[in-house]
Amino acid sequence: MDLIVKVENLWFSYKSGKFVLKNINVSFDGVSTAIVGQNGAAKTTFVKILKGLLKPTMGDVWINGVNTKETTVAQLAKVVGLVFQDPSEQIFKSKVIDEVMFGPLNIFRDKQYSYQMAIEALKLVGLDGKVNEHPYDLTLSERKLLCIASVLAMDPKVVIFDEPTIAQDRYHIKKIGELVLELEKNGKTVIAITHDMDFVFDYFKRTLVLHRGNLLVDGKTDEILQREDVLKAAGLDTPYIFKISSSVGTVISKLFPI
Amino acid sequence: MRVLGLYVERDTPVHKLAPFTKLMYAVTSTVVTFLFPSITVGILFLVLSVFLNTIARVLKHLIALLMVVSVLSISIFLIQGMFYVGNYTPLFSLLRLTFYKEGLLRAVVLVLRLFNMISAFGILMLTTRPSDLIDDLVRRGLSPNVGYVIASVLQIVPQMLSTATRIIDAQRSRGLEMNGSFHKRFKAFLALIGPLVLGSLLEARERALALEIRGFEARTKRTFLKDFSESKR
Amino acid sequence: MGSTEKIKIESLTYAYPFSDKNALENISFSIMPGECVGIIGRNGAGKSTLCLALTGLVPKFFKGRYSGKVLLDGEDVRQISYEKLVTKIGLVLQNPFSQITGARITVYEEVAFGLENLGIPRDEIKQRVEAVLKALDLWEKRDENPFELSGGQLQKLAIASVLVLQPEVLVLDEPTSQLDSGGTKEVFEIISQMKSQGITIVLVEHKYEMLVEYVDKIIFLQEGKMIAFDEAEKIFSLPEIDEYMVGEPIYTKLCKKLNSKNSRGYYPVKFSEAVGILREARCGSDR
Repeated sequence: MDLIVKVENLWFSYKSGKFVLKNINVSFDGVSTAIVGQNGAAKTTFVKILKGLLKPTMGDVWINGVNTKETTVAQLAKVVGLVFQDPSEQIFKSKVIDEVMFGPLNIFRDKQYSYQMAIEALKLVGLDGKVNEHPYDLTLSERKLLCIASVLAMDPKVVIFDEPTIAQDRYHIKKIGELVLELEKNGKTVIAITHDMDFVFDYFKRTLVLHRGNLLVDGKTDEILQREDVLKAAGLDTPYIFKISSSVGTVISKLFPI
Repeated sequence: MRVLGLYVERDTPVHKLAPFTKLMYAVTSTVVTFLFPSITVGILFLVLSVFLNTIARVLKHLIALLMVVSVLSISIFLIQGMFYVGNYTPLFSLLRLTFYKEGLLRAVVLVLRLFNMISAFGILMLTTRPSDLIDDLVRRGLSPNVGYVIASVLQIVPQMLSTATRIIDAQRSRGLEMNGSFHKRFKAFLALIGPLVLGSLLEARERALALEIRGFEARTKRTFLKDFSESKR
Repeated sequence: MGSTEKIKIESLTYAYPFSDKNALENISFSIMPGECVGIIGRNGAGKSTLCLALTGLVPKFFKGRYSGKVLLDGEDVRQISYEKLVTKIGLVLQNPFSQITGARITVYEEVAFGLENLGIPRDEIKQRVEAVLKALDLWEKRDENPFELSGGQLQKLAIASVLVLQPEVLVLDEPTSQLDSGGTKEVFEIISQMKSQGITIVLVEHKYEMLVEYVDKIIFLQEGKMIAFDEAEKIFSLPEIDEYMVGEPIYTKLCKKLNSKNSRGYYPVKFSEAVGILREARCGSDR
């Protein structure tokens, strides 16, 4: 089986010495995965390492067969895309289409092709009607979708989201979730950091629980989110779906799309 | 670095002095050494400043600051020693360059003046929180708006640096090359400056709103939470 | 004409400068003292603008085209003196990062800032700051630099900084956006405490499951217009909720799917009520 992302014996510490990630062994291969954990569990650090922005202190990370220690972030951008939390820390063009074309132009060089990719990405997120608008004329949620499009336009095999649902309204949470499902259907490996447990339940088949830099559990979302002991140990809450299930006494999950 | 400034956290009598007092000392000692360019005056004030710095237990930091101007000091000696207009009495020669007594003496005065200024202001900078200094000045009549602008710049500029790091991360993630030809680096610069400036402006606008909400424009007499020993009335 | 309404909005219509679209259109409603009212709607519906209008910052800060009235205790908010307004109504903005003044280096001083501005005596400042920091579980962090705090802690700091001014009305714009479920519960507990102290609360919130347990009524906005102003269960049973895809509490959605209404003819919005209705639905089917 071709594992797109392989993490072997990963240990990471910033210069100060204490390890913030300890002995992580995990692989990703096309199943949409949520990474959950309290603040301080080092989730963002982990995805930065996957993206090559940080290099492992010990251990290796292989992306599509290439070791992240032996390549540049710009090179990795062709394979791994990361949607950062804050759109305002990225947007700098005055037209939506220019912003989305920025990434593709960097890696594909070809203007025509980049334009095509950008339009397709905008269609995917539903912003194809706003191609010539100024990014700051869009609503907060639309700017988030814009950032997602700007990453998707580079056609990476792996798409990572850092807290995609923060400050989003319900409609856009659903939209982003459906996007995750669509990407998975198209063969992409989707990884998302989030603390919205209901979002995890609705859209991710696999869940990783990080706690204080350790990988506590790794398994099917259904099973893990029902384990109150694990969630409690990691400082997390059960999704509402299970709160209702346990109170009503039926597995209600059957009523939902996944 | 969270706050711009040289403040060193200690608990000494010098630290507890009112910021304004320290500011006055720094200004006075600097002005005096300019008005009276004698070596004796220079040494006197320098000894006093060093003494105060020692009580404040920041002598190590002061020496670091003085090191910064060490190159300048040496060049003053070289230039004045060799080329001062009033040079008359040769003292010694080095590598066919002649150094004169008058020039060297003048260099001593100049360097003492420089060291004095740094030591005196050093007491101020090393033992006073910038926000406390500004508070004290506002208490004595500085416009609160000006005070706020100065105080916030000291924290917001380092903040912008960490925001800049995140922006660089985001743009690199989109394939932006940071190294290479001038053209490449200019592109990188634009991709960084754009969000940084825009973001800062938007943030500044929100911050102004927050200040408004928290009564910044109130015309009532403000209270000062901090208390400085001589300001107790 | 003496009104007992705490807040009264009459035909408020507002457009930002350089914008041809109205951010708010013909909004009218009243809120009684001590009520807790939620505001829901899609992003861009005008919720934040409405919050700014309640405090007078729209139009004072933003200019633009403004018609209609916003009255606090019967007085037009544009007429109330600045000093009085600050202690009458407080607003916690959406983005916690840009609410730090930047002029203070510890959390303690940051919270005291507003009281210093108002000339409150030093001893009272110390009392109030301590009380509010403890209530928001920030007392341990009082000597830390605000810029070192996490997003969630910053959100609590923003609330503390406004709460310390002891406003009669508190408006909160998405106060839990950065917080996980633990932090969210903490904020709602504070809201509940304030409610019991008689403070009038207006809050914009997307986390409906929590919101409905604390509010008396909800304002539902869409594209600047007020679609409805009513009790939570009535709001979430409206067809417009589905039409505008605003979303609803998860168990309300379940009840909608099973077409299970409560005795008043609405889909339940509170957890305990929904559980009861779902149990009944379960008993009546072959699941």
